[in-house]
Amino acid sequence: MLKIENLVTSFGSVVALDGVSLSAQEAKITTVIGANGAGKSTLLRTISGLEHPSSGTITWQGESIVGRRPEDIVRMGIAHVPEGHAVISELSVEENITMGSLFRRRKFKADVPAATDEMYTLFPRLKERRKQLAGTLSGGERQMLAISRALVSRPKLLLLDEPSLGLAPLVVEQIIDSVNILCRTTGLTVLLVEQNANTALGVADHGVLLALGKVVADRPAAELKADATLRAAYLGY
Amino acid sequence: MHSIGRKSLIRTLLFIIAILWLGSTFDAYNQGQLAVVLILFIGVLSVTILTGISGQLSLGQGALMAVGGYSTALLMTNYPFSLWVAIPFSIIGAAIAGLLLGVAAARLSGPYLAGTTLVVALAIPTIANRFVSVFKGDEGLPVDVGYPPAWFSNAFGEPSYEEWQLYVALPFAAIALFFASNMLLSRSGRMWKSIRDNATASSLTGVNYSRQKIYVFIVSASFAGLSGALYGLRGLVGPSVYPVSLSLTLLTAAVLGGIRSIAGAFIGTVIVVFLPDWIDLVVENFELSEQVSNYMPAMISSLLLILTVVINPAGVAGTKLHRHK
Amino acid sequence: MNTFLAALFSGTSRGAIFALVALGLVIVWRGAGIVNFAQMGQAMFSTYIASTLIINGNSYWVGFIVALLSGAVLGSLIDIFVMRPLSNKKKTELLSSESMRAAVPVLASLGILGVLQALAGIIWAAEERGFPAPAKQEGFTVAGNAMPFTAFDLFVIGSVAVTLILTTLFFKKTSMGLAMRATALNQEVAKLSGIRTNLTRTLSWAISGAASSLAGLLLTPSSNLSPNTLDLALLIGFTAAVVGGLDSPAGAVLGGFIIGMVISFVTFYDTPEDVFLAILAVLLLALIIRPRGLLGSKDVRRV
Repeated sequence: MLKIENLVTSFGSVVALDGVSLSAQEAKITTVIGANGAGKSTLLRTISGLEHPSSGTITWQGESIVGRRPEDIVRMGIAHVPEGHAVISELSVEENITMGSLFRRRKFKADVPAATDEMYTLFPRLKERRKQLAGTLSGGERQMLAISRALVSRPKLLLLDEPSLGLAPLVVEQIIDSVNILCRTTGLTVLLVEQNANTALGVADHGVLLALGKVVADRPAAELKADATLRAAYLGY
Repeated sequence: MHSIGRKSLIRTLLFIIAILWLGSTFDAYNQGQLAVVLILFIGVLSVTILTGISGQLSLGQGALMAVGGYSTALLMTNYPFSLWVAIPFSIIGAAIAGLLLGVAAARLSGPYLAGTTLVVALAIPTIANRFVSVFKGDEGLPVDVGYPPAWFSNAFGEPSYEEWQLYVALPFAAIALFFASNMLLSRSGRMWKSIRDNATASSLTGVNYSRQKIYVFIVSASFAGLSGALYGLRGLVGPSVYPVSLSLTLLTAAVLGGIRSIAGAFIGTVIVVFLPDWIDLVVENFELSEQVSNYMPAMISSLLLILTVVINPAGVAGTKLHRHK
Repeated sequence: MNTFLAALFSGTSRGAIFALVALGLVIVWRGAGIVNFAQMGQAMFSTYIASTLIINGNSYWVGFIVALLSGAVLGSLIDIFVMRPLSNKKKTELLSSESMRAAVPVLASLGILGVLQALAGIIWAAEERGFPAPAKQEGFTVAGNAMPFTAFDLFVIGSVAVTLILTTLFFKKTSMGLAMRATALNQEVAKLSGIRTNLTRTLSWAISGAASSLAGLLLTPSSNLSPNTLDLALLIGFTAAVVGGLDSPAGAVLGGFIIGMVISFVTFYDTPEDVFLAILAVLLLALIIRPRGLLGSKDVRRV
C-alpha cells in the first residue's frame, strides 16, 4: 500500500504540493483529479523520485521512499508513466519495451520474454509495429507503448499521468479499459491522475480531489462522481 | 539616467584614488604588476560583459585583444602615430572584428559558440605566420609606451618605467570602468541580462535578440581591443603575446572573481596576475625543480577554476550576493 | 595522378583518426550533454603514460593497451569527480540562467584541460618526445610497386575501422548499449525505466576516453609529444563533429573523413600553413549553411 503524509513539494517560491495526504489501496484504482495546475503531476513525480519534497513522508509497503533515486524506486515495484513524451521516439517499439525490462535481466532472466509477450497480447497493435520507430506511431499507440514500457517491469504500483491527453475518446476508453482489466486480474495498484474526471471516476474505486496543492476531497469514487456541488466548484461541470 | 552616471563617476574616482595610493606604496616590480592588472582588468571586463551579463561564452577574447594589439603596433610602426592616437583606432578595429564575430556567433550558443571562438583564437598565430611581411610572424612587432612627455615630468617628476606604464594604463582602465558601470546599470544592461537568463522568453517579449547579442559582442570586443593594445605596449606584439591561453586566463579571472560584476572582474584579475608571485612565496620554502615551478601557476589556476565552478560558480564577488539573499 | 592518390590515402588515414576524435566528442555530447574540451588533453595524458612504458622497455602493444585503459579510467574519474557533482548542484541564482548552466560544464572541462597539461608538464618535464609507430611510416611496396600509402596508414585505417565496428555493435546490440542510448536520448524516461543513468553516463565518458586515447596514439607518431600537441586535434575533431552533426555518431565519422580529405588536399595541393585557415573556413561554412550538421537531427536547439 502507498501512504503519503503531509507532502510538500516546491519549485523555488512556488508551492506545488501543500501538505498532501492520501493513500492508495492495494489492488484498487485510486484516481487523483483536479483542475490544471492543481499539483497532480507533481504528486506523481514526487512519488517516483523525479522531484524531491521539502517535507512529508511517502511510504510504500512499509518502507519510506522519499529521497531515493527514481531508478531505485522502480526496483521497488513502482512504475511511472509521465504525461506527454513518455516514449523515446528515436528508438523502436521493441527497444522501448526492452528498455523497461533491462533492470530485471539479471534476477528474472526467464520472466522477461514472458512479460514482453504479455505486453504484445495486451496491445496487439504494438506487436504489428515492433520494429518501427516510436516516433512514427499514432498518439494512442504511443500511449500504449508508454504503458507497456512501465508494465513490462511487473510493477506492483502503476502511476499513470493523464493517459487521455490529446487522444480520441475511443482510444482513451480502450486504454483505460486495459488498465482496469489489469488491475482486477493481477491485483495491480493504480494511481491514476486525470483531468477527464468523468472517465477516471468511472473506473476508479477511490477518488482524491486536488486543488492548488491541497486535498479537497478524499472519498469513494462513486460518491465523488455523484457530488454535483463539488464538481461544479472544482471541475467546472 | 543622471544618477547612473553619478554612481559610475563616483566608483571611477574612488578607483583612481585607490590605485594611485596603492601604486605609491609598491616597489617597482609590483607597480609593473599593478599596471598589468589594470590592463588585463579591461580584458576581463570584456568577458564579464559578454559572458556574465549577456550569457554568451566566448573563448576567443584573446584573439580580439590581439586585433587591438596588432592595430596599435601597425599604426605606430608604419606611421608616426603616438599611442594616444593609435589606441582609439585600435578600439575601432577591435569593434569591427567584434561585429564580424558577433554576426557569426549570433546564431550559436553554448558549446557551438565556445568551440567556434576557440578556433578563432587559435587562428591568430596562424594568420600572423601566414602574412609574415605584414605581421612579422613569430617575431612580432616591437612597440612600447615610450617616455612621459616633458610637461608631465616637469609637473610630477620623472617616473620610473613601471610607474609610467601604470600612469598610462590608469586613465584607460578608469574610462573602461566608467563605461562598464554605466552599461551594467542601464536599461541595456538589464536587457542583456534577460537574454542571458532566458533566451526563449526574451525573444518572445520582443527584445531584438540577435541585434542585441551582436551589439554586446561589439562592446565586449572594444574592451578587449583596448586591453590588447595596452598589453602589447609593454614591449611586443606577436603571437607569443596573445596565445590561446590568454583567452582562458581572462575567462579564469572572470570566473574566479565573480563573473557577474565589475568588482569580480577586478578581484579575479588580481588573483590571476599575482598568483605566480604568491606561489613563488610559498614554494621558495621547498626545493622544487624548475619544471615543476614552471607549470605550478597554470596548474593552480586551472584547479581553482574547477573548484570554483563546481563548488561556488558565482566566484568571490558573487558569494557575497548569496548571503544577502 | 600520384599526388592525387597520395592525397586520397593520406586523407583517408587522417580522416579515420579525426573520425575517432569526433566520435569521442559525440558520445559524450549525447551521453552527458556537454562538449568535452578536455578530451584530447586526456588523450595526451594517456599517450604520455604509454610512451613512458615503451621507453622503459615494454612493447608497443603493452603501451597501446595501457593507454586505452588509462583513457577509459581518466574519463570515468572526470565524470565521477567533476561532472557529476556539477550536475547535482542545487539551483543557485547563477545557475537559474540557462546560458550559465550551459557554460559551467564547458568551463569545468577547460579547467580539466589546464590541469592535465600542467600535470603532464610537471611529470614529464615537457621534454618533446618522439613516439614510435608499430608499422613503418615510409612508403610501402607490394609486389615491387610503390604504393601511395604506408603500412602505418593501413594500421590506422584498420584500427579505426575495428573500433567503429565494435562501438556500433555495442550500442546497437547490447543491453548496456541500449541503456546508454536511452539515457542519451531522454534521461527522465531512462530513469523511470530503472536504468542507472549515473552509470551509463560514466560509461560514455569511459568509452569516449578510450577512443580518444586511441586517436592520440595514432596521431603522435607523426608529431612530437608535448602537453600541447593534441590541442589542434581537438579543434579539428570539433569541426568534424559539427560538420557531421554533433548528435550523430555516423555524422562524426562522415565529418571526420571530410575534414581529413580537406586537410590532406590542402596540404598536398596548397601549403600546410593554410590547413588551419581551411578548417576555420569549413567550420564557419558548416555553421552558416547547415548548423545541425549533415546527419544531425532537426529538433536540437541551436539558438
